[in-house]
Amino acid sequence: MSFFGFDTTLPRDRASLNDRRGFFEAPDPFAEVARARAQAHQDADDDDVIDFEDTYDGLGDQLNDDQDAFNDDTFGGAGGAGPVGKDFDFFGKTAQVADAIGEEQFRYSLQKPGVPAGAPAAAAQPPAETALAEAQPKRTGYEKYQDPGYIPDLQAKSSVWGMPSKPEPTSQSQSQMMSQARRMMSLEEVEAQLRRQPASIPTQLPVSLPHSMPALPQPIQRVHMPLPEDFPQLPPEILQAQFAKGVPPQLLHQPPMTPEGYPLPAHAPNMPLHLLQNANLPPQHMVGPQRQAMSPAPQRPQQQQPPPPPQGPRGNNTQQMPVITNAQQLMHLTEEQRMAYFMEDAKRAKRNHKIFLLSKGNGLMTPQDKNFITRIQLQQLVAAAGNMADSDAEAVLAEDFYYQVYSQIRGAPRQHPHQPLGHFAQTYLLQTGNRLGGHGSRRQFQSADNHMQRMQQQVQRAVEAAKQKPKNKQLIIEGSLGKISFSNAKTPKPMLNIKRPESSEGANSAKKPHTDLSLSDRKSVLTNLEGVYSTLMEMEDMERTMPPPPDENDAEAIQKHMEWRQNIRSLNQKLWRELKVMEPIVPNTNTPHPFIAFLSYPKGKKAIPRIFRHIDQEQRVTILTMIVVHLDSLDVVRRAQPVPGETQPSLAVREAIELFSQAVMPSLLGYVNEAPFNIIIGLLGLVIAQTHVQMVAKTRIGLGVLTMLLSRAEIVKEAGQATERDWQQWVEKFNVLFDTLEPTFADIFPSSINAGDDMYVWQFLAAVGIGASPEQQQRLVIAVKDRVMETVTYSKTLPADMASQRLNNVNLFMRAIGLDVELLG
Amino acid sequence: MADTEDAGTSSVSEPLDLVRLSLDEIVFVKLRGDRELKGRLHAYDSHCNLVLGDVEETIYVVEDDDNEEETIRTIKKQEEMLFVRGDSVVLISPQA
Repeated sequence: MSFFGFDTTLPRDRASLNDRRGFFEAPDPFAEVARARAQAHQDADDDDVIDFEDTYDGLGDQLNDDQDAFNDDTFGGAGGAGPVGKDFDFFGKTAQVADAIGEEQFRYSLQKPGVPAGAPAAAAQPPAETALAEAQPKRTGYEKYQDPGYIPDLQAKSSVWGMPSKPEPTSQSQSQMMSQARRMMSLEEVEAQLRRQPASIPTQLPVSLPHSMPALPQPIQRVHMPLPEDFPQLPPEILQAQFAKGVPPQLLHQPPMTPEGYPLPAHAPNMPLHLLQNANLPPQHMVGPQRQAMSPAPQRPQQQQPPPPPQGPRGNNTQQMPVITNAQQLMHLTEEQRMAYFMEDAKRAKRNHKIFLLSKGNGLMTPQDKNFITRIQLQQLVAAAGNMADSDAEAVLAEDFYYQVYSQIRGAPRQHPHQPLGHFAQTYLLQTGNRLGGHGSRRQFQSADNHMQRMQQQVQRAVEAAKQKPKNKQLIIEGSLGKISFSNAKTPKPMLNIKRPESSEGANSAKKPHTDLSLSDRKSVLTNLEGVYSTLMEMEDMERTMPPPPDENDAEAIQKHMEWRQNIRSLNQKLWRELKVMEPIVPNTNTPHPFIAFLSYPKGKKAIPRIFRHIDQEQRVTILTMIVVHLDSLDVVRRAQPVPGETQPSLAVREAIELFSQAVMPSLLGYVNEAPFNIIIGLLGLVIAQTHVQMVAKTRIGLGVLTMLLSRAEIVKEAGQATERDWQQWVEKFNVLFDTLEPTFADIFPSSINAGDDMYVWQFLAAVGIGASPEQQQRLVIAVKDRVMETVTYSKTLPADMASQRLNNVNLFMRAIGLDVELLG
Repeated sequence: MADTEDAGTSSVSEPLDLVRLSLDEIVFVKLRGDRELKGRLHAYDSHCNLVLGDVEETIYVVEDDDNEEETIRTIKKQEEMLFVRGDSVVLISPQA
């Protein structure tokens, strides 16, 4: 006796069929019943095929087939024979099929509500489909384990490769086969039998399926699928019986369990019959177990159900193919027709397989589940948007400052990037509400409506919470000694709670004398700079919050606008103070003016374009004047003085010059180009009177400023906007400038001819040349003649493009005085 | 730079306000682990996390040579941009 009390006698040792209990101790009464009935029918000369359903009292459905059906899977599939010892490894064996078991349970739980267990008896037999759907899960994924050659220890499953596994001793497989056949005829087996004997279907014998299998005269041997020659003879009448009932055997044959794949046309004669049968079935029969479980077809008394008439080629099998109801018909077909059938079937089977795979998760979530998920997502959306309902632009800005500024610079159409999100959430809410509300007559309306309400409430609460949160940063529990601070990523927990002195103004005023004393020391300049930047940011911030142009009738809007303007004005004043432009100019000191010191820092230079946006013309001219007056003390002029022995200033100075010409000069130029003529005259006068013009002229920035003034005057003159008196004034100043510079015209160039860009010099000379009188022009030519010739000569040694660039630079000047380098040939 | 909250209060009221003065300036930063940085300060925060540009990093390594004498070797690295985690910062000094 084996461990589990199996009958370990091998079939060959068994005395008779009656003694053959098969795999399990429990006798199968149905087999006996069925056989008896079959016998009776046969005796009664009932030429009707014995229907399986007729003989089947349904008790089998109540059997917990799946409890013991796979014992051999669990225990190694070796029948009741020796291998199972007392030291059987339950865990190991179970683990091998763990995934299959899990799948099994899942499927079972899915289908259970659809099909009440054990309900259908012979009287109220469920339709074939339903019954099959019920039967299917019990067999899911186990076909391969029924292969006697299956070796559980192997990781690579041979069936995956479509290769025959090693056959085991016949006796063992036989005994297993007996028990299995007793339980149920697997489709592969049926198929295999058919393949074996496709053309010789004898007259239909009344047999009942499948419990009568062991009673069949011929011994059934379990064989390997891909080797049809191993198959013993199986009376095809079994199949006939089934087919006659119109039961689509395909349904027994689950797509995922066909590892042998879909036969190629080459194997046409061995084509599994169930596939052929299937060709006549409309596709909806094959969707999969879920579908059937979800929508059980109305139950019809199986007893009265006549065999369905041969179905026409409906469904997707619309080719002009004869209806095939049994294998014989197939034999009569031409080779091509058969091929077509097989192709068709293979395609369909493939499709079914795909559909099955896709539909695995179907119906897992109820609409309520989906709504629930949506709620969670929506809540996260709200949380992510922070206080989106909060129209506090400040907070949004603080959250995402750089994006805001970036989008503003880019002129993005949406001013408030938080809006689309809020909109999205709102529209989503609205839409969903409408959609669900539209189905008022539906049974689910009540719950759905509730759901929407809850969702909306939740969103509201979330928004409220988001709004509230920053406000309660602390919680003081009564009677406790301390405070509990809340913190989150946005508002970190303040470790120190130091109150800023209210009288910070007073503290400042106490310091002020000190700072006044050293307005231009490094620290105070830097402090000024930071103050300027802070104010600038504040002003830029104000610009963002500028109220729309007020409507005349809307007093409130006007009021708001006025307040805003007032704010801007005060900020402007503050900025102006911090710039220290109006600090008194102390002549003859070593400490530079605070504003000039301000400009000596890179960040000071960078601030100028931003400052110019926020100040009025008067302030701009003041700044320009300040710069012009201190032109020779600007760092970019002072430190850029050519040093004997060095071809060009140091890298730091060059960087400063570059920055100045890119950041400050455009702002100044922008003003100068619109400045009235008398201001230009005044500025030129200041340059001459207040600065060392010769020193200024030796630097790029200095020349740049001078060029700026000269060219503006020329433009004013060309446009005829200058009054005679103004022009006289200008010419006077110009003459002074010219006379002052004349001795140094040769020195204003970079010391070496190959010291890089000298275009700005030629530009300056051109500006001078245009405004000069013919006599001055002559003097000018004489002064720079050498450099011109030098450049022309030098350019001949340069590559063509560089040469032409240098010559063009020279030409700037030459053309201004009516000449051309070409003339110098 | 994003906080407009304390805009206008340019006065020095806390230690980090001094660091603020060095924004966009060359600073010298001493770090734990015998490291020094010199570069342009682009950004900092309350943890002294720093973002520096055009940084020269100097690492001092003490090595025992054959005679058991300790020699100090310096490794210099040049970085275009560097994020320095604040917990390693020992001091920040403006490099005037």
